[in-house]
Amino acid sequence: MSPGLVVEQIFNGLVSGAIYALMASGLSLIWGTLKMLNFAHGEFYMLGGFGVYFALLLGGLPPLVAVPVAMLGAAVVGMLLERLVIHPLLDKPGWDVSPIIATLGASILLQNLALHLWGERFKNIPYYIEGGVNLFGIRMAWQRVLIVAVTVVVIVVVVAALRRSRWGMALRATAQDRDAAVLAGIDVYAVYLWTLGLTAALAALAAAMLAPIYSINPWMGTALLLKAFIVCVLGGLGSLEGAILGGVLLGTTESLTVLLWSSEWKDVVAFVLLILVLWVRPAGLMGTREW
Amino acid sequence: MLDVRGLDVLYGDVQVVWDLSFTVDAGEIVTLLGANGAGKSTTLKTISGLLRPRRGHILFDGVSLETVPPDRIVGMGVLQVPEGRRLWPGMTVLENLRLGAYPKGARGEEGASLEAVFSLFPVLAERRGQLAGTLSGGEQQMLAIGRALMARPRLLMLDEPSLGLAPKVIERIFEVIQDVSRRGVTVLLVEQNAHLALSVANRAYILETGHLVRAGAGSELLADADVRRAYLGV
Amino acid sequence: MLRRALDGGGVYLVLAGLLALVPLVNSDAYFVHILTLSLMHSALASSWNLICGYTGLFSFGHQAFFGLGAYVSSLMAMKAGLSPWLGLVVGGGVAAAAGFVIALPCLRLRAPPYIAIATLGFAEICRFTAMNLVGLTRGELGLWGIPEMTPVPVPGVGQVSFTGQRVPYFYLMLAIYVAMMALLYWLVRSPLGLALKSVRDSEDAAESLGVDIVRTKILIFVLSSFLAGVVGAFYAHYVLILTPSSVLSVGVMIEIVAMTLIGGLGTFLGPTVGAFGITLLLEYMRVLGDYRLLIYGALLIAIILFIPEGIAKRLLPRRVAL
Ligand SMILES: Nc1ncnc2c1ncn2[C@@H]1O[C@H](COP(=O)(O)OP(=O)(O)OP(=O)(O)O)[C@@H](O)[C@H]1O
Ligand SMILES: [Mg+2]
Repeated sequence: MSPGLVVEQIFNGLVSGAIYALMASGLSLIWGTLKMLNFAHGEFYMLGGFGVYFALLLGGLPPLVAVPVAMLGAAVVGMLLERLVIHPLLDKPGWDVSPIIATLGASILLQNLALHLWGERFKNIPYYIEGGVNLFGIRMAWQRVLIVAVTVVVIVVVVAALRRSRWGMALRATAQDRDAAVLAGIDVYAVYLWTLGLTAALAALAAAMLAPIYSINPWMGTALLLKAFIVCVLGGLGSLEGAILGGVLLGTTESLTVLLWSSEWKDVVAFVLLILVLWVRPAGLMGTREW
Repeated sequence: MLDVRGLDVLYGDVQVVWDLSFTVDAGEIVTLLGANGAGKSTTLKTISGLLRPRRGHILFDGVSLETVPPDRIVGMGVLQVPEGRRLWPGMTVLENLRLGAYPKGARGEEGASLEAVFSLFPVLAERRGQLAGTLSGGEQQMLAIGRALMARPRLLMLDEPSLGLAPKVIERIFEVIQDVSRRGVTVLLVEQNAHLALSVANRAYILETGHLVRAGAGSELLADADVRRAYLGV
Repeated sequence: MLRRALDGGGVYLVLAGLLALVPLVNSDAYFVHILTLSLMHSALASSWNLICGYTGLFSFGHQAFFGLGAYVSSLMAMKAGLSPWLGLVVGGGVAAAAGFVIALPCLRLRAPPYIAIATLGFAEICRFTAMNLVGLTRGELGLWGIPEMTPVPVPGVGQVSFTGQRVPYFYLMLAIYVAMMALLYWLVRSPLGLALKSVRDSEDAAESLGVDIVRTKILIFVLSSFLAGVVGAFYAHYVLILTPSSVLSVGVMIEIVAMTLIGGLGTFLGPTVGAFGITLLLEYMRVLGDYRLLIYGALLIAIILFIPEGIAKRLLPRRVAL
């Protein structure tokens, strides 16, 4: 086994790690602010995939426009979900389980709506950038480089916005102490609304970046959602840094498993890793940190 | 300025505030006294809009607050320093203060407000980069008051600011409350430390298990034999 | 007299008796099949309700125990010639052992989502293992040729054969269900059940009352896993074909959660009401074709929005729904 192959696989691990991080940071943000698990998050991803497909192929838009359009579309659906389904359950008894059923229902609904509207045939879109580079015998497709680059930029922007912007600080305040946020004049319901919008857009971005490599179908979000949950818990729910770290950890572990053992067992290794980490650190890798 | 009329507040089916009426005039310091569980915090939460009354009215400058969303109530200048400080523990002192200036009307004056708060509580300036969760109890109370002041309040409601603090620190906090009052902010002070509260208040109301039982000028109640026996332990 | 008997669990016996009469009235194979499935789902959801509803542990990996029971019993019957009757117990036993192993790390976690995801992780390990051990399980192609239940002598009826029959399976499932509910009924009222309630309501308070929380939780987890395993084994010898996605996928768990929450989490009959409701609904909505799951999703949302406490409490008198 050549060292070049190992580096290539680690790079591929980073690519899936980037996608995991985008998905998991959304779940983590929602957990942080609303204290709920969003089981419809995978459908935001799916909608992002279809969104970019239609924007590119039917709308004839260039990728640079089509991707933001897909993100915007998913954000609108996310905000609708918040207003129509989640908002009425807020502040009612049973909040620890009611959003689970509500978002599971939304997930089933959206998946079958997509199936109904767009059919079960898998859809493909071309690479945004063709070709690749060959660095010291290590081959990297530009599309994959692009995924990592875009993810890094977007995550840096999101983290900076959470740290510095008034809106980001309001979101963190809501997550840390909701009543205190209300008493400081923050409209927490607006924070919830925008959080759903933002996280849906991040999921759609993940799909839009990955769509040229995998195909688009109504079920594409399901398996990824499970992985994203693992990443969240691995890193520590509510921690953004944890989601990023967990994503990269899981992505590289998986691709090294493929290289060293077999692709069939990579998921098993991933889940074993999760249970081992939780055994040693019950709150995840960065679970105790407030943000 | 604040006019509370016939307020009934319930948690589920349990009523904890009964037909409560009181007023706070502009520029006054008014205190709301009562033992544990009397319903003082509940009253403040209802004014802030965190709870909604079953019956009664809360008028602020003649505007009815019962259906106004809590963030808008804050925007109107009604600020509460809640029981137990309720800071954002994972944010720095400076971030806590800056978020205090979140209401639209206060944003433009963030810099000036910050300076004013730092001059009232110099220790906050020293510790601006420290996480709020790691401050001492006294520092946390100062930060909580400072955060509310950043919003440029017109009515400042404080819920037991003396709770769990050393006498020296309590003294400083009460100096600041009087200072803030002199600068034209109206104050509604909830306290269990009746002696201290009555000594700074223009007027006082006494709650017992959700019912208003006494009202009067601070000095008058301070001298009243019944009140002294029941609340001042003499 | 009657009143006392009804209050003391008698009402449930009457309900079970009524159910037992149904195939005598309508023995249509499809109808009996749907009833059997409903009972099976009731049992499965009730076993999950024991962990989640009564102990407050949000496990999201219950399908692992169901699937383990199914696969273990089938494989033992096929490869070692074990009687399916023993398979019910062995399947349950292996599931219980697995429950014990996974309970240890999971119970160290306090936040509900961590427990949910850790248990889900375990279930996914089981699913991928069943998918990958193609030599043993045939993977996604499906394990077929699972033996049916062997004939048993029943007093007053004679030798009962299960081959190609629906009705005997219905009565077997009914027996399993009733036995299980009787156990749960007794458990909830026993000192252990009271300890459980206190654990759910406040761990700290329970601890101060001297309840050994960890032991109690492990016991419940193991018991619940055992029950799910038995139901899984029944499923295998009834449906006679197994695939990892039919018994080990998260879809199974989603159904369990939906049934329990819609019926009423933490109520005695809630999971049963939810299981019958959803099973019948999904079956009879087949005429709607493609729209079926669409409507199902919308319905889940509508129910949680408008009947958040579950339909059992709405439909049934309070002391029956419990
Ligand atoms: N969230 C709640 N749910 C139910 N009852 C509550 C709730 N909060 C307070 N109560 C009850 O309402 C009553 C009044 O409580 P409140 O906190 O207003 O008292 P308080 O006067 O502020 O007391 P303290 O001096 O101890 O702070 C108490 O009997 C309390 O138990
Ligand atoms: Mg109080």
